Amino acid sequence: MRDDRLVTIQAGFPVGGRSPAFQEDPLFGYVVRRLMSSVLVILLASFAVFAIFYLGPSSPAQPVCEGSGRACTPERLANIEKSMGLDKPVLEAYGTYMKGVAVGREVVIGAAEYDCGAPCFGISYGTRGEVTDELKERIVPTILIAVGGSLVFLTVGVGIGIAAAARRGTIGDRALVSGSLLVSSVPYYLLCLLAWLYLTLKTDIFPTTGYFPLSDGDPFKTFTGLLLPCLVLGVASSPVYARYSRGQMVDTLGDDFIRTAKAKGLAGRTVLLKHGLRAAIVPIVTIFGLDFGTLLAGTIFTEKIFDVDGIGVWGLDAISPPQDLPVLTVTVLIGAVFIVVSNLIVDLVYGVLDPRVRLG
Amino acid sequence: MSSGLSVDAVDGPGGEEKPPEDPEAPQQLAGRSPTRIALGRLARDKVAVVGTVVLLILVVLAIMAPLICDWWNIYPDQKDPNAPTPSQMLDGNQLPSFGPPQYPFTWDHPLGIEPQSGRDNLALLLYGLRTSLTVALLATVFSTVVGVTLGLLAGYAKGAVDAVLSFVIDFFLSFPFILGALALAPIITSRFGGDQDTLRRAELLSLVGILVLFGWMGLARLIRGQVLSLREREFVQAAQVIGVPTWQILFKELLPNLVAPIVVAISLSIPAYVAAEAGLSFLGIGLTESPSLGKTVNSAVNYFERYPLYLWTPVVTIMIMVIALNLVGDSIRDAFDPKTRR
Repeated sequence: MRDDRLVTIQAGFPVGGRSPAFQEDPLFGYVVRRLMSSVLVILLASFAVFAIFYLGPSSPAQPVCEGSGRACTPERLANIEKSMGLDKPVLEAYGTYMKGVAVGREVVIGAAEYDCGAPCFGISYGTRGEVTDELKERIVPTILIAVGGSLVFLTVGVGIGIAAAARRGTIGDRALVSGSLLVSSVPYYLLCLLAWLYLTLKTDIFPTTGYFPLSDGDPFKTFTGLLLPCLVLGVASSPVYARYSRGQMVDTLGDDFIRTAKAKGLAGRTVLLKHGLRAAIVPIVTIFGLDFGTLLAGTIFTEKIFDVDGIGVWGLDAISPPQDLPVLTVTVLIGAVFIVVSNLIVDLVYGVLDPRVRLG
Repeated sequence: MSSGLSVDAVDGPGGEEKPPEDPEAPQQLAGRSPTRIALGRLARDKVAVVGTVVLLILVVLAIMAPLICDWWNIYPDQKDPNAPTPSQMLDGNQLPSFGPPQYPFTWDHPLGIEPQSGRDNLALLLYGLRTSLTVALLATVFSTVVGVTLGLLAGYAKGAVDAVLSFVIDFFLSFPFILGALALAPIITSRFGGDQDTLRRAELLSLVGILVLFGWMGLARLIRGQVLSLREREFVQAAQVIGVPTWQILFKELLPNLVAPIVVAISLSIPAYVAAEAGLSFLGIGLTESPSLGKTVNSAVNYFERYPLYLWTPVVTIMIMVIALNLVGDSIRDAFDPKTRR
């Protein structure tokens, strides 16, 4: 899947193909259009999850009804649905939900009433706490893992890629290319699982893994706890970046300006990093930006295996009965926001990084 | 990938056009189709050949699973009246009474017995392979059909249709796949609730449905891009001028020119689907009724110290299968397009 995207992206981004003439208001119009379609995507994604549950066979109120301790008769279920506003058409209920996100609202679950301030993503059926509060807590480890993992694979992966491109054709280069293919073929969750079983449980190489909030006042423990998850994520993603940045570097190093730089007597390192990498970095950043959202939305395996209470595990827990609709909606919503926003940033940053590209 | 092609031909995406390094090409003046040339390259690629042999063995094992189990007298579940009951196979601690981990190896159950359920691990493995390959193949077929059709339409139809389809593609690309699968899986499955057999089939189909729903966009975008440029070529314009119906232009004129990207996309999506099936089942949102390698991995985690064989057989099988599929897929991509190397 990932490879498909790489190919698509390469084909889809015109580099320097546009006319250099400046148009009337290229950037503003472009930004507005991109923003609008981004918002539309996010709204549609959250509506989709909402609608799925409405059209699903069992009512979203079922867990509330069953969880209240008394027998769940059809009449009681209907009453609870009515109190929660679930008897209304799906569009109206979604409208109420979105209004809550904007300005806050009163949430009624069965007999209980909750005052849910903006941004209100509802009240969890399970914990009866505000979803927004828990979201704020759970988003931290997810972001930490994704950022930590990215740091690892950006330094290791891109570093290896550059080194291989500079030694192109040697045995080391060949070994790297085939080795990276092998490593990237192993499904990520297996790597993650084996690392946890054998590095944390069986041996004491990484004795404590998991998430210990910064608010516990022990930043070192937070760091060591997330070190292995970040390393595994980084190592698993490195080969893709190594191969990709190697390809880009090889391409760039064949350009005339590199020959000029060498000819005028610049040091090899300067040519490689200041001239070569500067030109090759643009597509690498693009891929990273497009991947980062997916990475954030997809740390679910890392979280489950290393027992980290992040967004992914939250969603996973919300799906096993009793199902927790507000939680599930917010996880999908946040996942879509991550992906859309990072794609948007890539598109906007692209013009800054590569002055040849004109947006619009 | 280290063999077959020289490193020079391997490097540089979109570099200068090199003539295909084909030693037989100069002597043979008779035309060969691009597919023939690609197949020739593939046959000389040692990695591809080894990978294909491994895959063939796995596929044969999967197809023959019922026969092998019959012959070996092992059962993947307790439905068969001849199958031993859990109490016959397990001791008081729910650990197997024969074979590893507590007793020496026995040929009756070469890969041991599953704790808790008392099922045979070899039978579970063979049927898991079967499930895995079935899901991956079905998902690949359907997502290819959907992706190619929508990609052709989006690329060929200008204006509103293209805009809408492009938005739909972007929308699905922005949808967090695993979370989406989380939301969808139980709903589709519970629609078909009923006896175990219907549930098993419903689960399988809903998993395929989810994989297709989130798996068609890459190919659709690729095809759309290709069609955008092909559309302006003379042969398409000629067909338009002489009044060839649109569907015929799409499927008879354009489609044959898209064989290479489609084959490449298929060969790379099969391993992705195999991995996804096992991954979702590992999370507990894929298959619960059918034997699945990912499910076995999940339940074996608790036994990893006492009974490593139980964990490692499905893990190694998934790895071998996915690595072999990926290596073959990569070789196929090289064979069809030696220029695009990263």
